[in-house]
Amino acid sequence: MDSVSQRVLEYLTEVEEGAEEVLTIKQQIVDLDSRRNRNREALNALKTEVSEEKVKVCFGNMFIKFPKLKTREMIQKDQEQLDKEINELRKGLKAKVNRLNEMQGKPELRGYSLSPLSTDEIKAINSLFKR
Amino acid sequence: MATTKVPEVRDITRIERIGAHSHIRGLGLDDALEPRQVSQGMVGQLASRRAAGVILEMIKDGHIAGRAVLIAGQPGTGKTAIAMGIAQSLGPDTPFTALAGSEIFSLEMSKTESLSQAFRKAIGVRIKEETEIIEGEVVEIQIDRPATGTGAKVGKLTLKTTEMETIYDLGNKMIDSLSKDKVQAGDVITIDKATGKISKLGRSFTRARDYDAMGAQTQFVQCPEGELQKRKEVVHTVSLHEIDVINSRTQGFLALFSGDTGEIKSEVREQINAKVCEWREEGKAEIIPGVLFIDEVHMLDMECFSFLNRALESDLSPVLIMATNRGITCIRGTKYQSPHGIPIDLLDRLLIIATSPYTEKETRQILKIRCEEEDVELSEEAHTVLTRIGMETSLRYAIQLISTAGLVCRKRKGTEVQVEDIKRVYSLFLDEARSSQYMKEYQDSFLFNEKETPSMDTT
Repeated sequence: MDSVSQRVLEYLTEVEEGAEEVLTIKQQIVDLDSRRNRNREALNALKTEVSEEKVKVCFGNMFIKFPKLKTREMIQKDQEQLDKEINELRKGLKAKVNRLNEMQGKPELRGYSLSPLSTDEIKAINSLFKR
Repeated sequence: MATTKVPEVRDITRIERIGAHSHIRGLGLDDALEPRQVSQGMVGQLASRRAAGVILEMIKDGHIAGRAVLIAGQPGTGKTAIAMGIAQSLGPDTPFTALAGSEIFSLEMSKTESLSQAFRKAIGVRIKEETEIIEGEVVEIQIDRPATGTGAKVGKLTLKTTEMETIYDLGNKMIDSLSKDKVQAGDVITIDKATGKISKLGRSFTRARDYDAMGAQTQFVQCPEGELQKRKEVVHTVSLHEIDVINSRTQGFLALFSGDTGEIKSEVREQINAKVCEWREEGKAEIIPGVLFIDEVHMLDMECFSFLNRALESDLSPVLIMATNRGITCIRGTKYQSPHGIPIDLLDRLLIIATSPYTEKETRQILKIRCEEEDVELSEEAHTVLTRIGMETSLRYAIQLISTAGLVCRKRKGTEVQVEDIKRVYSLFLDEARSSQYMKEYQDSFLFNEKETPSMDTT
């Protein structure tokens, strides 16, 4: 293989790797979100559950009777952790997508690194967006 | 009781008309900013295009703001074409405002007001909107109403994407708004997390066969992909002028009737400036200095020029590009002579790009490009004749002859414009020189012929 095709191959590998990374992060976010939703369902179920002091919680493939209060605390902690992880992944995703665009010679997505306007500010200039 | 929201449909077929500079697609420069002889509709003017290219790069990088450029040259040497080329290569993200020098003279608005509006139209502000939404296809809605008729309703909403499915417990309010929007299984909806606002995007394709009879406004969409709880980020670019307008608008129903807003108070502008600067410091906004192009800049008067002087000093100032075809002439409204009809103190701040008359070869090229643009086929001899006409009279006149000759040709059911067609339109329509010749010969038979006025100085 001559040096030109070697370089092309290297470049293509790099692009593919970048794309793969982006896809992995996306899938990771999806997985985390589905866990977050399951947790939310569980919290709702706990809220409606009135009868007993202890509830059955499924760990892996085993049901364990666990105190209600503790279960809720546990799930809530997990939920916070998930929120944080998803946020971090999203932040990383932006950088990865930008890098991929740069490698492919596409223009950079501008403005996505800005911090968002607050809802009041958005409301104030909302009429401009509906063009 | 409940009203269905009809989605706004805006689909207007754009009618493309052929303008004088519609063939310009860019400045025709290569990556090293070297101008190509013929490219992107531009022909010749290599030096001025190269100069414009340097300025363009600086604008793109955001390095310069508050600078002014003057494109000077004889009539018909491509000044407006270069400005158009700059506008085209800037892309849709950078604001470009064009106005003619005479546009600012209006009875409704003072000159400086319309100039400052033009300045503010040429400055973009980039902002980001971020919303957390839940987006999914409704699988099932289950609402339990209490048997007594009164009391809290409870319900469950099942949403899915292509990847997952989940159940939400519904409160009283949510149930109300769901039934108000007539959300049913198969609809694709988004729920704004912050406000709880539900909006229907349409019906899922998989449920397309649920009803045979369906309103015309029923939209079918794909089942959403990915996670259910998404973060939607939208980046908007608005001009400072637009922000001014909404803030100066009268509140209440009066706002409906004030179509054009007229003048904007300077206090409003100052407030907006302060707010935008605050946003920039907080990292909430980026300022994109755009380009303001004033054609026929010699039409401005002393007042406007001194306003320009001042406005260029402001830190929220776009790049100003002006074009003029005047030589040393009076500044409008004064008796002072000055080059280009622009006061010396303003000229001193300008970068001046000169354009030179086209050579015969270049004229030929331009005519060819215009023929393609106007969809007229020209025979080789006719092309040569037209080039001659272009050299001897003016390029504009020759370009006018293209479409008229095309019509004559079509009239005689020809496919290609021949020399005869050119001759015919040449005899039908006078150029400037022949017209003035005619005037001189028949001066006596025209009305108001007593006075001998000096002719307009266009050199």
